[in-house]
This record gives sequence, C-alpha cells and structure tokens, in this order.
Amino acid sequence: MTLLYILLGTVFGFVLSRSGASDYNYIQRMFLFEDFHMYGLIGSAIAVTAPALWLLRRSGRTTSGRSLQAAARPRHHGHVAGGLLFGVGWSIAGMCPGPIFVNIGEGKIYAVAALAGALVGTGFFGAIYTRLQAPLRLPPLAVGTGEG
Amino acid sequence: MPLILNNALPLHWAVGGAGIAAVTLCLLFVANRRLGISAGFEDVCALVVQQPYFARGSLRAARPWRLPFVAGLVLGGFLSAVSSGGWEPTWSLGMFDQAVGLGPAGKLAWMFVGGLFIGFGTRLAGGCTSGHGIFGLSNLELPSLVTTISFMVGGVVTTQVLYRVVFN
Repeated sequence: MTLLYILLGTVFGFVLSRSGASDYNYIQRMFLFEDFHMYGLIGSAIAVTAPALWLLRRSGRTTSGRSLQAAARPRHHGHVAGGLLFGVGWSIAGMCPGPIFVNIGEGKIYAVAALAGALVGTGFFGAIYTRLQAPLRLPPLAVGTGEG
Repeated sequence: MPLILNNALPLHWAVGGAGIAAVTLCLLFVANRRLGISAGFEDVCALVVQQPYFARGSLRAARPWRLPFVAGLVLGGFLSAVSSGGWEPTWSLGMFDQAVGLGPAGKLAWMFVGGLFIGFGTRLAGGCTSGHGIFGLSNLELPSLVTTISFMVGGVVTTQVLYRVVFN
C-alpha cells in the first residue's frame, strides 16, 4: 500500500505543479481577482469530487469491501481563526501545504524555508494546544482539531 | 500565463481539477483515506519532538499513508520540473521579484514567516485547501465551508494589502 500512496502523491504533486496551484503568480492573481484559473481549478475539482463522493457514500464500501470512512470532522471554534491565519500565510508564501512540498521538489529553494516555518508553527500549536482548548472550545487532546 | 517553473504553459484548469478529483476519489475508494495534507506537518513534527498532541491515536493511524503521500508530492514536483525543461534549483519568485526584489536571505525570512502562519493556522483549523477546500466541501461539511471562507478572506485581504498598498 505504501507504494500506492507514493504513486497517488506523485500524481497529485505533478498536477499541483502543472496546474498553477504551486505557482506564486497564480496564487496572487487569484487573491487579486485578476485570473479565473485557480477558481476554475478548485471549482472543477469539487464539481467532480462531490457527486462521485455522494455515490461512493451511498454504496458505502471501498474496493476491498470495508465500510467507507467519511464521517464529518469535529466542530470547534478554531475554524475561523485558523482559516484566517492560514489565509495570511498562503498569501505571504504563495503556497498552501501541498504546494510547499511540490515546490521543494521543483527546486524552488525558498520553499524549504516555508516548510521550516510551517513545522515550527505546527510544533508551537501542538505545544500550546491545551491552553487554546478552553477559549476556542477545541476537542479533547486525543481527538484533535481534525486530520485535514 | 506561463508558470514560474521553466516558463511552462499550465494545464487547462478543468484538466487540473479532474486530476485533483481523481486522486481524491482514488484515495478514498481504494485506501479509505480522506485527503488532507496539512496534518502531514504534524506527522513530521511527531518524528522529531515528543508532544502528547502529536501522539494521539487519530494522527498515528493516518501516518502510514500520509507520510508516503507527502513524499510523493515532492517527487511529483521533481518529475514535473524534469519533464518540462529540466530540474534546476531556483530563487525565482515571479511577481514578488518585480515588486520587492529581496535577495535570497530576505526570501528565506519572508517564506519562513509565511510558513509559521500556514503551520499554525492549518492545524488550528484542522485542515487546509485539500482537507477542507476539496474534500470537506465536496462532502458538504459545514466546518469546511467556514474554514474555506475564512482562509479565502485571509488570503484576499493580505494579497490586496501587499500588492495594492505595501508594494506599490
């Protein structure tokens, strides 16, 4: 299975690289409303995934016959604050998490610094999780904010 | 508009969108995993630091797929470079170079700061563009809609301020 995951990641990385999703200019032009491309990309991905996902959920089984794990994520108050902070970072770096890894593969040296920052930010979040729990009504530590 | 990468022409957005959907669906239908990349930061952190938050069961259960997937992302970027004109380390950053003209050290600092926001923000929100924006929205999940609107607002405001005010 590990090989399958590497293969899927490779295809995903290739598509993110060639579709503009890992391109600083395309991200800025999306946020400047100067280019429809990224909206078309994300919109068409959802337009294909959503109905197929609905059909898969109706059958409720994977290829190996296991019951499908697509339960909704835990709800908490970190979605707005976390989303806003992530948006600021996406704009500054011109990359969201997937493209950070893709850009490193492409040879964009500065992407290594974005990854370092992301890991430090993640580590800091993990370190102060219990202190954020009450004010943001985050789920118990064993559950976490969700594996998105 | 050509990509920064080798000045290559990008795929049509509909082709890219179909590719993203194909991987998302394949991951769920074959491997029973919901797409989500930013938790990969936690997987990497868990390899280095011992923190209770990174030792929780739900995260550990996903590690056997997410770490190889993330390694694949790097490989995919590499293959994309090789097949579009060759792989070569670069500092080129498109519009940013024209607007600001920072050197390598400045770019590293700039990207590190961006990364801090990305890491902290995605983990607080429990997902990023892939987990909330693609999978969550396709699965009609309310928290994903809230998160997606929030990160689009954060990105739009920041870029508008940077490119229409600060860099002008």
